[in-house]
Amino acid sequence: MPLDKSVLERNFPEFEFRVERGKIREYALVLGLNDPVHTDVEAARAAGFEDLLAPPTFVRQFWHENPENDPMPHLGYDPKRRLHGEQEFEYHKPLVAGMNLKGRNAIVSTREKEGRRGGMMTFVVIETRFVDEAGELVQVARRTLIETAAPPKEA
Amino acid sequence: MTTTLEYAKWEELTEGAEHELTVGPITRTDLVRYAGASGDFNPNHHDEIYAIRAGFDKPFAHGMLQGGYLARLLSEWLGPGSFKNLKLRFNALTWPGDMVICKARVVRQYEEAEQKLVEIEANAMNQRGDVLIKATATAAPWS
Repeated sequence: MPLDKSVLERNFPEFEFRVERGKIREYALVLGLNDPVHTDVEAARAAGFEDLLAPPTFVRQFWHENPENDPMPHLGYDPKRRLHGEQEFEYHKPLVAGMNLKGRNAIVSTREKEGRRGGMMTFVVIETRFVDEAGELVQVARRTLIETAAPPKEA
Repeated sequence: MTTTLEYAKWEELTEGAEHELTVGPITRTDLVRYAGASGDFNPNHHDEIYAIRAGFDKPFAHGMLQGGYLARLLSEWLGPGSFKNLKLRFNALTWPGDMVICKARVVRQYEEAEQKLVEIEANAMNQRGDVLIKATATAAPWS
């Protein structure tokens, strides 16, 4: 399926969430992060953070919280040919427990390219910007979603 | 209180300095736990029949699980909250039973606007030598 171009016209609403200690601990433990700044509030404060520090890829769970605010389900991609090709993070301020963040998703680029075995591959970059209560930028996440070319028999 | 980790010193983070972390073998339980922690419930990562119908041999790991291990290596080496940016390029899939071998190297050590910075190149490979992820990062090391 080609990209559903109507998604490019759409604005995706801002969403809000609170960064919770329990969710930071869970994320750190699953990845085996041994640094107590993610699990022990005193250790985090001793290291100069206001509260538990979120691991570097923590915001991953928030960018498609719900289909209303995420372009991904509206791209028209075949879920069986959808790949997460690249992921980029920019860090502007420490992300710690207790923060109330606002996030917003936007498509920042699209391109198509011929697949090696024929058919078209589609690349879409979705940027999620996270700001704090003062409106200051905390993190930016950019995911490149690829729809691989359909096998020739299906094209 | 738990003790804080020891991070690499600035003097040690010269060009060519390396650090490694091996995780695994990856289990299906790891995939389910990551799905829960990350909110990514794409059935390819836990539903055998769905994954087979989608053309895979079995469920496979989320790219961001290995990405999380790479970020852990860098964070525990350079210090928490030290990253300026992190870029991950997903190259191959990880299957239950695979090892994830993460390696990172300093490619540039420099100062800019009174900040001490390093540029890092890193990758994650499996036990067969396939590259799973290629990564780059810029960080202001902790110490």
